[in-house]
Amino acid sequence: MIYFVIRRLLFAVVLLFVVSFFTYVLFTALPTNPAALTCGKNCTPEVIARNEVRLGYDQPIHVQYGRFLKGIFAGRTYGPEGASVHCPAPALGYSFEYHQCVTELITRTFPVTLSVAIGAFVLWMGIGVGLGTLAALRRGRWQDRFATTFSVVGISLPTFFFALLAILVIVIWGGLLDFPQYTGFTENPIKWFSGLLLPWATLAILSASTYVRLTRNGILEVMNEEFVRLGLAKGVKRRTLIVKYVMRAAMVPIVTIAGLDFAALLGGAVITESVFNLPGMGKLSIRAVTDSDLPVLVATTLVAAVLIVVANAVVDILYGFLDPRVREKV
Amino acid sequence: MRKRRAFAALIVASGLAIAACGGGDGGGTTGEESGGKSASSDGIVDGGTLHILDISEGATNLDPQRIYTGADLGFLGSTIQRTLTSYKYAAGVEGSELVADLATDTGTASNDAKTWEFTLRDGVTFEDGSPIECKDIRYGVSRTWASDVTGDEGPLFALSFIDAPEDYPGPFTATEEQQAGFNEAIECSEDGKTVTFNLRESVGDFNFTVALLAFGPVPEDQDTGDQYTLKPVSSGPFKIESYEQGKELVMVRNENWNKDSDPVREPHLDKIIWHFGLDETVIDERMIADEGDDQATIVYGVIQPQNLQTIFGDDKFKDRRTDGFDGFVSYTMVNMKTVNCAEIRRAIWLALDRDALRTAGGGPFTGEYAKGFINPRLGADYEEADLPEGLNEDGTPNVEAAQAEMDKAKENPDCADAYKRATETGLTRDHADSELWQKLIAIWIDSMDKIGIKIIDNPIEPSKYYATINETPGDLMSAGWAADWNNASTVIPPLFIKDGGFAYNYTWEDPEYDGFKALVDAAKVETDREKQGDMWKELNQWLVDRVWNIPGLYTKTQNIVGSRVRNAYQWYQFGWYNVGAIGLTE
Repeated sequence: MIYFVIRRLLFAVVLLFVVSFFTYVLFTALPTNPAALTCGKNCTPEVIARNEVRLGYDQPIHVQYGRFLKGIFAGRTYGPEGASVHCPAPALGYSFEYHQCVTELITRTFPVTLSVAIGAFVLWMGIGVGLGTLAALRRGRWQDRFATTFSVVGISLPTFFFALLAILVIVIWGGLLDFPQYTGFTENPIKWFSGLLLPWATLAILSASTYVRLTRNGILEVMNEEFVRLGLAKGVKRRTLIVKYVMRAAMVPIVTIAGLDFAALLGGAVITESVFNLPGMGKLSIRAVTDSDLPVLVATTLVAAVLIVVANAVVDILYGFLDPRVREKV
Repeated sequence: MRKRRAFAALIVASGLAIAACGGGDGGGTTGEESGGKSASSDGIVDGGTLHILDISEGATNLDPQRIYTGADLGFLGSTIQRTLTSYKYAAGVEGSELVADLATDTGTASNDAKTWEFTLRDGVTFEDGSPIECKDIRYGVSRTWASDVTGDEGPLFALSFIDAPEDYPGPFTATEEQQAGFNEAIECSEDGKTVTFNLRESVGDFNFTVALLAFGPVPEDQDTGDQYTLKPVSSGPFKIESYEQGKELVMVRNENWNKDSDPVREPHLDKIIWHFGLDETVIDERMIADEGDDQATIVYGVIQPQNLQTIFGDDKFKDRRTDGFDGFVSYTMVNMKTVNCAEIRRAIWLALDRDALRTAGGGPFTGEYAKGFINPRLGADYEEADLPEGLNEDGTPNVEAAQAEMDKAKENPDCADAYKRATETGLTRDHADSELWQKLIAIWIDSMDKIGIKIIDNPIEPSKYYATINETPGDLMSAGWAADWNNASTVIPPLFIKDGGFAYNYTWEDPEYDGFKALVDAAKVETDREKQGDMWKELNQWLVDRVWNIPGLYTKTQNIVGSRVRNAYQWYQFGWYNVGAIGLTE
């Protein structure tokens, strides 16, 4: 098991290097010139050349990448002497758009995204798995039809539409909630909660749909397995059978997907954060794209990649608990 | 020229149809609306918090040496950054009157306006209470040269006025010698009260130049380089309390500002909260609903096209809405080297379906057909030029008149090359690539096809647009311009004189260039303002007659404010509200 973990970690590190390098290369292939973004009509070729020096894009790509790697371990200083800014390690770069160290930006936006992700995850797993189980056990009855309708509607609605609709109906017309605004949990937990209610609900209702279907189908499939019939024939109580054996077997694929979904959400729920004006990582990365802000783009991509890699590892470990056969193989 | 702030939407979320907006019924104008009650000072009670809603993730810039968009110059100038001179707090054309600010008067010129002297008022201070002295002004201005820190975002043209060493790199990396040379160009008196600017050439309106925030004071010991733009040191009635990009910027009153030393500013508010990162659809819905704090709210941005009908179609909004010119003139720059034939240029103007172009862009709300290159807002210099015979007022094409010009061009031996290029090779039409332009270019191609001119579409990646047309200009290029201050000296010379700054169109290839330049030079040094205005009017007519560029629109913008907002007049000089003057009712 330990050998397995070490191998996985090494692989993950290599993977992250590859991801960061390719983000760099892809970025330089973009048609946008970041050195020309701020000067507008002042953009004569000389001005652009000066800007390239200022931003560090005048160096060959491998030099830029090398500096980036060095910064992660040793920190880095930006700008000319007399007006320089120092970013301590781990320095993921300096954003000339935000005028801040990228690590600072990530540590500031990550808690917002984490808040959004945790609440939404709890809600959607609850709704998704609960409703899915109910539908499977009451197959063909109204509960099943309700759950199926719910998931069809949920999957069909685009996030931005649902989110805007929620704001319009609940906040602007109904006046039931204040306009969503992010407040730190440590600052005021009640405001934190009320400000995040709508984003949570939006993400949960839309994402739960997938889980309703997965859970329902998973349970129905397992119910047809031979061991279930055997159990019933041997006189195991139906409730015990479902909770202890059927659910456990049906959960395996759901845990896989849930882990990855959660990690992806931690990378930033771009649309939800934008509509509800939550200053999280999703918004950060979207702005980095529109502004061609390479350091931020690389950093957010890298963080998202780390999260996915970690989530994958966690899912693997969880597998072991849910399915003893996996444990033996490892 | 001032840059236009990009009110561009994030690519997400705003998916609700950006419909081609109302009033697409062809001709006509919407007139101007000044904001009704919201533009007056009726019922202002001192105090309160003003909210500003913005789709951007943060301020474009707060560093005075980097601010160069009209709205920001007015907003931050009226709240946190004082300058030697500034503009009167007033609606209408009065608001472009120059007044003394940090200086005791609007400056004294000598030596043929090559030397300008300003004396600082007593009792002017930064937010920490330390006095503002000549050295702070000098240090502030010098930062504009530091392209390695302030990034060429400011008014670079102004640098060429000042007699600084050619290779001056700004205060951060200057050698002692370079800095000494710079200190001779901007001299400080012994007592630190008098600032003297030594210029390379005569600049009759240099006292307007120093009203740009780039000429504002910065205390050297508190300069944080690139990060100064996150928290500049205030000299105005407000100061920055906190700023978190993506969330909000909070301004509170600056206790170390006192009214006795500032005859210009009249603050009413206690606090200003600038909210960032909002969805534009949500902003408009909130403004229309006008509930709670949104009643004490203004928007940094314009009304979405799909909401214009709602807001301008209903009288209940008449005290909250404005519709007016933003100071810009859009036009098509013509390459005088390749299209060196006035008949062809005139034919293009006559044949162009300007009505279809405007409708595609959003109809009359986007602007009025320009009659020259000087905006109506430049009151002293503006006059409708006589337009070419046959040009339709309603913007529809006049193919017959255009064809007649083309026939004339065919006969004229001087036009042979240009005629061949237009009808056989084709004219390259440069424009920044956008969804809208994909529609507009089709109208161009179609319009020109009717008189036998071929158009070669040349979409350019937006961030590289100006650099590209500067280096390799096409035959026809889109552009826009706004005056830096209320004088066409900041319009005609930069647009049409070689090395003026924004003449990418080889006007100097025209045989009549020398005569034109002599007239411009005469107008530039004319000190009688009224006479100078007449000279600019004549030059504008001269340009329209020879069609050196093809006028497009005097562009307009539409805004809405909350019902408790007062004094939200459009400040002529800047094309946005005078935020520092805004007050709230009970």
